[in-house]
Amino acid sequence: MASSQQTGLSGAELRRAFRQAFERLEEYRDTVNALNVFPVPDGDTGTNMSLTLRSGIERCPDDDGLSAGEVAKELAQGTFFGARGNSGVILSQFFKGFGDALEGCETCSAAHLAQALDRAREAAYGAVGNPREGTMLTVIRRAAEAALESGEASDLMAVLEIAYLASCVALKNTPEQLPVLKEAGVVDSGGLGVVVILGGVLAGLAPERSLDLSAEAGLEDIIDDSMASLGDSSKSQESGFVHQSLEADWGYCTEFIISGQGLSPQDVRQYFEENARSTVVVGDPENVRVHIHADDPGPAISYGVSLGTVSNVKIESMDDQNVEWAAGHSAPASTVGAELAVVAVAAGQGLAALFMESGCGHVIQGGQTMNPSVQQVIQGVQRAGAENTIFLPNNKNIVLTAQQVAANDPTVRVVPTRSIPQGVAAVLAYNPLSPLEENLAAMEETLSTVTTIEVTQAVRDTSVDGVAVSLGDYIALLDDQLMITAQSPEAALEQAVVLAGVKSDSILTVYRGADADPEAAEASASALESLVPGIQVDQVYGGQPHYHYLASIE
Amino acid sequence: MAIRIVTDSASDLPVALAQANDVTVVPAYVIIGDETYKDGVEITADQFYERLGTLPRLPTTSQPTVADFQEAYQRLLAQGHQIVSIHVSSKLSGTFNSASQAKAVMGDDSPIEIVDSQLASAPLSLAALNAAQWAREMPDYRELAQRVRQSLSRYHTFVLLDTLEYLQKGGRIGKAAAFVGGMLKVKPILTVRDGEVHPLERPRSRERGRARLIEMVRDLAPVRQINVIHSTDRAQALAVRSELSEMVEPEGLIESRFGPVLGTYLGPNALGIAVTQGSPDGP
Repeated sequence: MASSQQTGLSGAELRRAFRQAFERLEEYRDTVNALNVFPVPDGDTGTNMSLTLRSGIERCPDDDGLSAGEVAKELAQGTFFGARGNSGVILSQFFKGFGDALEGCETCSAAHLAQALDRAREAAYGAVGNPREGTMLTVIRRAAEAALESGEASDLMAVLEIAYLASCVALKNTPEQLPVLKEAGVVDSGGLGVVVILGGVLAGLAPERSLDLSAEAGLEDIIDDSMASLGDSSKSQESGFVHQSLEADWGYCTEFIISGQGLSPQDVRQYFEENARSTVVVGDPENVRVHIHADDPGPAISYGVSLGTVSNVKIESMDDQNVEWAAGHSAPASTVGAELAVVAVAAGQGLAALFMESGCGHVIQGGQTMNPSVQQVIQGVQRAGAENTIFLPNNKNIVLTAQQVAANDPTVRVVPTRSIPQGVAAVLAYNPLSPLEENLAAMEETLSTVTTIEVTQAVRDTSVDGVAVSLGDYIALLDDQLMITAQSPEAALEQAVVLAGVKSDSILTVYRGADADPEAAEASASALESLVPGIQVDQVYGGQPHYHYLASIE
Repeated sequence: MAIRIVTDSASDLPVALAQANDVTVVPAYVIIGDETYKDGVEITADQFYERLGTLPRLPTTSQPTVADFQEAYQRLLAQGHQIVSIHVSSKLSGTFNSASQAKAVMGDDSPIEIVDSQLASAPLSLAALNAAQWAREMPDYRELAQRVRQSLSRYHTFVLLDTLEYLQKGGRIGKAAAFVGGMLKVKPILTVRDGEVHPLERPRSRERGRARLIEMVRDLAPVRQINVIHSTDRAQALAVRSELSEMVEPEGLIESRFGPVLGTYLGPNALGIAVTQGSPDGP
């Protein structure tokens, strides 16, 4: 290896280094996930970054004859299609810049590396409209700056080591830059992901140096301090949700509980990660709850039976027929070959049916806890099959992914809906008979008319915006701001509506989630109706997971 | 001897205005159960809507027969009149076809011109009324028919419905099928474009729909005539009428009612506004 450090990294060495980075990121995935300071179930940063990087690694052919430039290009392509969540999109742009800089390079020299990191920084910042410091962007920037400053005369390993140390320092400093991190007493999760990746690259080239430098930077202390601030985070990890991988999302949604003795949730999770999609496995040695998506649920249940007693089996088809069936009498017209289609992201049968009947050509199953990748967005657009597509991400962590697709495909336009209620308002403003630009204008105009309320259960103890939250509390967010904690989801909803302010001509739409009790929801709707005379309360079954209620005030 | 205007009951032209302007209205038919009624003649709007909610099966409609038109034309021709016969869009009804056949039966040299208005209801009544006005100063029925055809693009209409159910079950939904959906109780706003039902917007409440109707009408200013039409909620129609009254001279403000034939497709609580674009002293 010493000789290659003089002359630069070959393609094979670069591939091995990033494979090591991916493995390191996998190791740290739960830790990165735990740093998500917001107590709501949402797309976990560690999972999103890991799946994005995996997509890059899997794209690299096992061919030692490839140049460094070719490997970097494959990584860029792979991470682009696999990009998931905001952190994944930023990471994919990092690789885009990195790959562009190495284009045509047989090997990657010290100078190349510094330049590539700088291009990666530039591309990463370019991925977001409004870059914030104290995030993974800052960590990338500091690493790139340090690499450039280290001078082109240094050898490659020296440049890498300096960049890595700088990234650790930048990570440690993130709470000073972002008040929300300071309040929670943690470092930025995406930033940690970047540090882990750089550390992994280093480990792939010089394992012992990686350990030394991590110790020098005090990385474990930084992580331990954050974990201590989060309290008993392992508890929230196991009881709340979890960990998942999401691939093409068709087939059967299969859920069951395995009961027995000495079960290993880790082993079960690993089995389903290899044999199913959208794997969510939680539990303890006595009970393991399994949620997977599989083309054939049979083998999954047989596997469960081999470990213990299987109960609470629920199998639902997720294919198109089902969505159309749920839409009731009005099977929507196909948009294949049409001039224009709308494609939306939504989780839950009710919401999918609502978007379909309101004029969508296709609904991608996903949302808050399942951020679809760039590839899945592209597939959704293809399924709709129209000449032009208006895309509704319906989640703040999917907007960037959608915009990545649009940036590379002029037939895709994004109306940046940040929530389901915004998405519904937008799709109702859609008229398939009107021209594209007219529709875009009408749909964008609705964004500012909707106040979004989200009610869920806290997945960790924390304090956000001065509101103390305990694991298991029902919480309500008003336009992404945590506002209310309450003892029941209905109480959280009602208090949030009061706080948001309603008038006699307001329209309140409540989307009941899969976890909400229908009778309690009914009673709550009546209570809300009597809040202000004249207010219109529409209750709809959304069936969304994790969120007992979504609501909009228009 | 003069030119007389004939239309059909799908114009919803109020009887008083028809009489005052010498417009002949040939009624279509509404079929309830085993009974067939002449629209507005053998069953009034009030009677119809009262029964609509209680019927086990929705009513259906039928265009006026060729004989109905023959009879109306013969009566006017016998009085020495020429005829311009203006009818509901041929894409929505066979009425235009019946009228054309009646003319063919009576001989192609009869002084009758048949116009496919590409409209329905309130805007059609405006077209018929204006044609009756022009008839007083024009000597030739063909010229008048030509003028009517050229004026058709000036009539606009917006209809706010409680539900698309009646239009859908009645088989007249056309392009508004795009707005069919049951999970959110949207109040669709439709228009008639190129002779067909065409969807415009989906407000979430009747109040907002009404406000949008008014905005849409204001966007068409200057307008010369406004016809506010309703099925069952007159108070709502009167409120809209008073909000729009400043846009036109008093004689340009008309109130009418969706009759049984239109009611079959629009249902209760339908509210419509039709306008004639142009300045008050314009042609």
